Amino acid sequence: MDKIERRQFLKLGLYTTAGVMMGSLFAFSRTDKEIDYKSPEDLSKFDWGFLVDTTRCIGCGACVRACKVENNVPDSYFRTWVERYEIDKNGRVRVDSPNGALESFKDDNFNEAEIVKAFFVPKLCNHCYDSACTQVCPVGATYESPDGVVLIDKERCVGCGYCVQACPYGCRYIDHEKGVADKCTLCYHRIQKGEAPACVNACPRAARIFGNLKDPESKIRKILNLRRYGTLKPDLGTNPKCYYIGLDMEVK
Amino acid sequence: MLSNKKHIILVFSILLFLLTAGIVVRKAMQPDSYGFAGNYRWDANQEIMKQPVLNQNSKTCSECHESIYNLHEKDAHYTVPCVDCHGAGNVHVAFFKGDSLNGITKQQAYLEKEFKLDGCLLCHQKLVARPADFPQIVKDDHYKFLHVTDPKTQCIQCHNPHEPIFLLTDVKNSRLHPIVYKCTECHSKTPEKSPKEVENHPTIFECKDCHAEITADFNSKPHSKYIDCRTCHLYHKENETTGRIYKNGNAKFCLLCHEKKSFRDEKYPPKIEWPNHVGNTSIISKSDEKICLNCHEDKIHQMHLSKAQNPHSVNWKSEHKDIAGQSKEICGKCHTSNSCQNCHMKSKPSSHTADWKKDLHKVSGAKNPSSCETCHKRNSCYGCHKLDMPHPKDFGETHKELIEVKGKELCSNCHKEDFCKTCH
Repeated sequence: MDKIERRQFLKLGLYTTAGVMMGSLFAFSRTDKEIDYKSPEDLSKFDWGFLVDTTRCIGCGACVRACKVENNVPDSYFRTWVERYEIDKNGRVRVDSPNGALESFKDDNFNEAEIVKAFFVPKLCNHCYDSACTQVCPVGATYESPDGVVLIDKERCVGCGYCVQACPYGCRYIDHEKGVADKCTLCYHRIQKGEAPACVNACPRAARIFGNLKDPESKIRKILNLRRYGTLKPDLGTNPKCYYIGLDMEVK
Repeated sequence: MLSNKKHIILVFSILLFLLTAGIVVRKAMQPDSYGFAGNYRWDANQEIMKQPVLNQNSKTCSECHESIYNLHEKDAHYTVPCVDCHGAGNVHVAFFKGDSLNGITKQQAYLEKEFKLDGCLLCHQKLVARPADFPQIVKDDHYKFLHVTDPKTQCIQCHNPHEPIFLLTDVKNSRLHPIVYKCTECHSKTPEKSPKEVENHPTIFECKDCHAEITADFNSKPHSKYIDCRTCHLYHKENETTGRIYKNGNAKFCLLCHEKKSFRDEKYPPKIEWPNHVGNTSIISKSDEKICLNCHEDKIHQMHLSKAQNPHSVNWKSEHKDIAGQSKEICGKCHTSNSCQNCHMKSKPSSHTADWKKDLHKVSGAKNPSSCETCHKRNSCYGCHKLDMPHPKDFGETHKELIEVKGKELCSNCHKEDFCKTCH
């Protein structure tokens, strides 16, 4: 008698637990929220690309200043910066970017007569198709949005800094105030409202071009069809989406 | 057996329990929007979008400051957005548009004006790395050239940042022009030899190559010692082969050097009091900004570009094929070797419609065989027809031999099968 009672008790217990579990599964299951912004399908009609015409850049640093203000970037960190390359007649190369070119450049590093060529190269996150930073994130906080922008979920990010080391272009930094990694978002908040990224908006020489790579009529597509361009460190297989016109071999 | 069954049920029940517990815990721990569009929290996307826009678009500025915006659009700074000199401007716009952002004082809404010396030099400081066609100065040299005696002089005491060089014609309506080179665009110092004296020097294109008369006239006048063509005719490179030339004879442009100001050398270059110099100020009207040239034209150069100097006529586009067909070397004097290809390799002529290959081409091909040769090789008819097209005059006699060699099928490419019967 005892035995049967125990068996029945166990059975009952098991079934109730299972029942509660199944019930709670439905109770906790996600109900899709109303979305008041573009759906992933709509966003996937875009593929935001970036083009830098280094032959037009004058190194004024307007982009750096605009980015600092727009995104409240902490001191001594940069989401975009401008590098200057100077090559003298002995083949020596000097690369500098004083404070990210926040206050432009003051003087030439070599004697003016000795410089054979010199140029500016603005840098920013390449928003690679196969980005190293997305692959190494241990908590999956870095992701690629449906419109092709590499973004960081700051709530998930634990600030471990793996991505900062993984990025071959040095485009990421740790925001020590918030304890999370941060980087260029292509001004995601601006492009969703139809505005150009802050650096593109500020460029006085139209050296930075931004647009939808999937639209054959976009300015960026037309220029890419017309001009010869390259990307930074193509051998790493990151497949960058930030194209450069007039790149030199020295630019890494 | 029965007790074994119990054990199996127990084991599977525990497994089921663990599985359900796992699913429930996962659901509970996972953010709501995870997996909506990929392996990430979809809401994060929206959070990033919520960030406020700070840097204002120049169009926003134009809504209130229309006249200044239009002036700025007309002159050489037209590509410089407002934010570069005035700051992001979000507080300014929010205050004056009366948005819900409370607690902004008028003081905070006041925009900075960065057109002090340092601000201008951020772009215009001379650096070797800057493109040579971009206007840049070394402050000391610039002041010396203009005989500015006070070193504390600010840029805005001569230049209006919204209208820095007082252009007569709107930048966007200024004329397209083949590239004009200056030696210093490639060489760091002006070379001693002229490009023609250097062996294998690439062809370059100078003002005097086309405007010989005016350049000669200008060189005989006093201005030629101090300035060159591009001081007044500002040049703006647009791409590899073309740029825009701005004509500049605006009175205000002359005054940049010749107006009497406290911070300048009094005697040199000759200074005038403006507008007292003109005497009767009523003759200065907006429609006549070239007022200096009315009297001083002879100090600069003759102002009328005779039409004979422009190598191309009005109907050039339709006529150029005759000259280009004769010799491409003529074009090469000014244009690069691939400039024909810019038009001709990108698109077919409009006459080459879908029916072109089928029958249309034989009409114009027969009428003017040389017209095909503009683009096609001389023997390209032969490629399809396997004989010279159109038929030579003596074809009536020679066609017999030809058909014996090549066969009757050749004729049926164009003619019907019973075509021979019309004569034979």
